[in-house]
Amino acid sequence: MEITFTINNEKRSLEVSPHQRLLDIIRKDLGLTAAKEGCGKGECGACTVLFNGEPVASCLVLAPQADGAEILTVEGLISREGELHPLQQAFLDTGAVQCGFCIPGSIMTGYRLLQDNPEPKREEVRQALAGNICRCTGYQKIVDAVQLAASRMQSGGDSSWAQDL
Amino acid sequence: MGTRFVGKKVNKVDARQKVTGEAKYTEDLVNDFADLLHIRVLRAPHPHAYLREINVEPAREVAGVVEVFTAADFPELTEFGLIIKDQPVLVGIDQKMRYLGDALALVVAETDAAALRGRDRIELEIEELEVVDNPLRSMEQDCIQIHEDHEIEVTHYLDPEMCCDNILSDNYLDKADVKKGFAEADLIVEREYQTQFVEQLPLQVEKGIADYDEESEEIIIWAASQWLHDTQADIAQAMGVTKDKIRIKQPVIGGAFGKKEDISVHIHLALAARELKRPVQLIYNREESMIAQSKRHPQIIRHKTGVSSEGKLTAWQTEMIMDTGAYASSGPAVVRNAMFHCTGPYQAPNVRAACYAVYTNNTYCGAMRGFGATQMAFAYDSQMDVIARELGMDPADFRMRNAYQPGSTTPGGEKLELGVNVRETIAEARRLSSWREGDNNA
Amino acid sequence: MENSRRNASGRPKASGSDFEAEQENIQELGREVPVGSADYLAPKSLKKALEYRSRYGYKAVVIAGGTDIMVDYFERLSEVSSWLDLTKIQDLKEIKFGPEKIRLGSMVTHRKLATDSRIRENLPLLAESASEVGAWQIQSRGTLGGNIVTSSPAGDALAPLLAYQARFILGSVSGQREVAAEDFFTGPKENVMTQEELLIEVVIPTPREGTLSRWKKVGKRKAMIISSLTMALLLELDDKDEITAARAAYGAVAPRPIRATELEVYLTGRKLTEISAGKAGELAAQEISPITDIRGTVDFRCQVTRDITEQALLGFQQE
Ligand SMILES: Cc1cc2nc3c(=O)[nH]c(=O)nc-3n(C[C@H](O)[C@H](O)[C@H](O)COP(=O)(O)OP(=O)(O)OC[C@H]3O[C@@H](n4cnc5c(N)ncnc54)[C@H](O)[C@@H]3O)c2cc1C
Ligand code: FES
Ligand code: FES
Repeated sequence: MEITFTINNEKRSLEVSPHQRLLDIIRKDLGLTAAKEGCGKGECGACTVLFNGEPVASCLVLAPQADGAEILTVEGLISREGELHPLQQAFLDTGAVQCGFCIPGSIMTGYRLLQDNPEPKREEVRQALAGNICRCTGYQKIVDAVQLAASRMQSGGDSSWAQDL
Repeated sequence: MGTRFVGKKVNKVDARQKVTGEAKYTEDLVNDFADLLHIRVLRAPHPHAYLREINVEPAREVAGVVEVFTAADFPELTEFGLIIKDQPVLVGIDQKMRYLGDALALVVAETDAAALRGRDRIELEIEELEVVDNPLRSMEQDCIQIHEDHEIEVTHYLDPEMCCDNILSDNYLDKADVKKGFAEADLIVEREYQTQFVEQLPLQVEKGIADYDEESEEIIIWAASQWLHDTQADIAQAMGVTKDKIRIKQPVIGGAFGKKEDISVHIHLALAARELKRPVQLIYNREESMIAQSKRHPQIIRHKTGVSSEGKLTAWQTEMIMDTGAYASSGPAVVRNAMFHCTGPYQAPNVRAACYAVYTNNTYCGAMRGFGATQMAFAYDSQMDVIARELGMDPADFRMRNAYQPGSTTPGGEKLELGVNVRETIAEARRLSSWREGDNNA
Repeated sequence: MENSRRNASGRPKASGSDFEAEQENIQELGREVPVGSADYLAPKSLKKALEYRSRYGYKAVVIAGGTDIMVDYFERLSEVSSWLDLTKIQDLKEIKFGPEKIRLGSMVTHRKLATDSRIRENLPLLAESASEVGAWQIQSRGTLGGNIVTSSPAGDALAPLLAYQARFILGSVSGQREVAAEDFFTGPKENVMTQEELLIEVVIPTPREGTLSRWKKVGKRKAMIISSLTMALLLELDDKDEITAARAAYGAVAPRPIRATELEVYLTGRKLTEISAGKAGELAAQEISPITDIRGTVDFRCQVTRDITEQALLGFQQE
């Protein structure tokens, strides 16, 4: 069956089958491989994308359910000029990235959090990112990253991180 | 030299690609291959049994299934393993499956769904044996032998009577005279501690792709490994080819923590790619990763410690039994590492230790952060707390009194000269936690 | 040594909807289930959905947020012959506040329940429990209806629904029926809904002003955890601080969510200040019939039930 949806601001039509998950079409059919599969059962958050504006585990969404949806992945955060989103930059600058497998998912949840709450407290970041497991256990720095991005976005986006930290 | 980065924040070289999603992990490469075949592994239905019959014909009939491989297809295969080669690539007829992760057949299909359907149709006849799920049972005289076909050398250093059928390796150490140490003690404390299996759980599970170059007869494998060259050598010896025929291209790894030291997808991929002359992929799911690949070793640790009434250790005796599961993996090294850490960072003048790595039918255990020392740490520091309480001493004071200093010797007889910061560490921990001196109940 | 012959897939069949049992059921009833051509049905109207439901029965697996059913069918999506997706039915996503009743569509998500200010104000037990379901990703998709129909004794919405005396509206092509939350659940993952029905709406009598309530979830982690036990405690007080109604509901401590009626009898008619919180805890612990499983032992569940009940009442008394 054919479905139509918007992904990273681009309208797409795709032939999908109900044997596929949203994660499968994003990774295989569209070749957007940032979102990862760590469990396939909603537990780890590695497959997190924004789906109609909310973070979801794309491994638990049936592909045809994406019909009409608006989807955002990490690939969609980079500007046309190739500039990183402040949140991506902050993940770099705080050293939040280790093996990196959880990072695209954590960034998407963090991105959504900052829309609601531009100045989150540590506890609020932890709460929001509870569904994103980082087995390299870089949680402190991931929380640092979200807060750093928040403060930069508030102050208009100076990215000279050495001063901010 | 050296000043460019020291004291400065430096980004990891691949961090940028990891925040943009450009970093290519194994599973991200599958789109680069046209015609990729999918493998699913049929694993043991029982943790200890003889495989008597296997009928893969029903699997072959499933639409989309390209081939089903069993041990019979590869008579040249030998066993593999990090230290001891005791693990079968595929369990053959009249051979034993020793844990639920043992592979019995490889189903290769055009789609993953077809491979799964095929796998579910394979018929087996097995002869069930006693399942040994406890290392203490393993050490009993009447226990069934798990590796009767593997030569095991046990030294019988302490106990000539001990049943060693299921002991993978025994290790002993003696430092000075433990008997004398206990005679000098005012208090002797004996306790048993147990630790459990721990799953390393890297966020990325085991995954791989392989391709075959007919001209050079090279097998190219894209999969994570923590010991690139050991993995290459082990694959080659198991398949009976020379090392130059095995090329491993390491994509970005999504965590390992010791779990990816062992071979997982590699040999199965290599066999299928070579036989079918097509690229193949093998992707575990989380359950499969948990069932088939290594864990942290559970240990039963018995400490007997002698101490003077002033709180000085006089003797330390440790017996440790470690469940290594169905296969050796890093077990022989982990058990030794644990043994040499039996007193932790505390100076005991007289030490005796006996440690055993024991086969069971549990999932095999291997490397994980700490490599045996972690389990011991739980036990020796618990023991120190128990002793301090029995002596009525502050546990921090008691530790301080026995902590290593420059010049101390370890249970293995190593003399420590440089970088011995245990006392500083205890003092700092005390400061940071506002631990009050002399307070036993805090 | 015994010889055993077995099929390679020692794997269990779909658990969530007990597919196999249901298939047998269908045959027992001798009902013809026409095999449709459509493998994915996503009606926009409830009417159409009910028609499909009557036509396909269990042949079409109902999917709402998918957070339970997608886990059940992990790696076996191709075994599903047909899906009935409810996510396009806008009517089922509505919340209506009336003076007497609050009506929640079955497709309202946990996220909505957790963040909607009027739900937080009027139905705090439900809002708080929803905010502790899984994590954000699960709350975005997971629905109230899915939680109810899954009927896991550990489902977080269930104790609050019992405490609020919720009633469930079940619909089919032949009409609607209303079932009290207490009568809906019949055992672990079992309920009274038939294969022709859909859960349409949850109706809750609007709580009186001044109602006191406490929600407590106990689990091995703070997030992404199926509950070891849940408690939803609700007291209605008159202006003399006398308890005019008490409802104490518990989840994961019995085969289905339960109310501790002895405790409710003890509380009702007494002044809040005269209650012995310790006795209340004892009563609660006596009324549950938990099992030992990976989420806790019988002893753990009894002790914790007693403690959280006692603490909740002490908390009310301090307020
Ligand atoms: C990682 C993870 C964590 C979780 N944590 C929690 C938790 O903390 N607490 C908790 O309670 N649950 C938890 N769950 C379970 C699940 O998220 C909830 O039960 C959720 O409410 C299910 O709703 P859904 O819409 O996703 O249901 P679905 O999966 O879509 O459906 C569930 C079942 O109900 C049926 N169904 C759904 N809607 C209807 C309807 N309107 N009429 C008839 N049948 C219907 C479906 O056929 C299916 O059998 C968790 C799940 C995951 C994956
Ligand atoms: S892969 Fe989707 S949550 Fe883990
Ligand atoms: S960086 Fe490795 S899992 Fe988070």
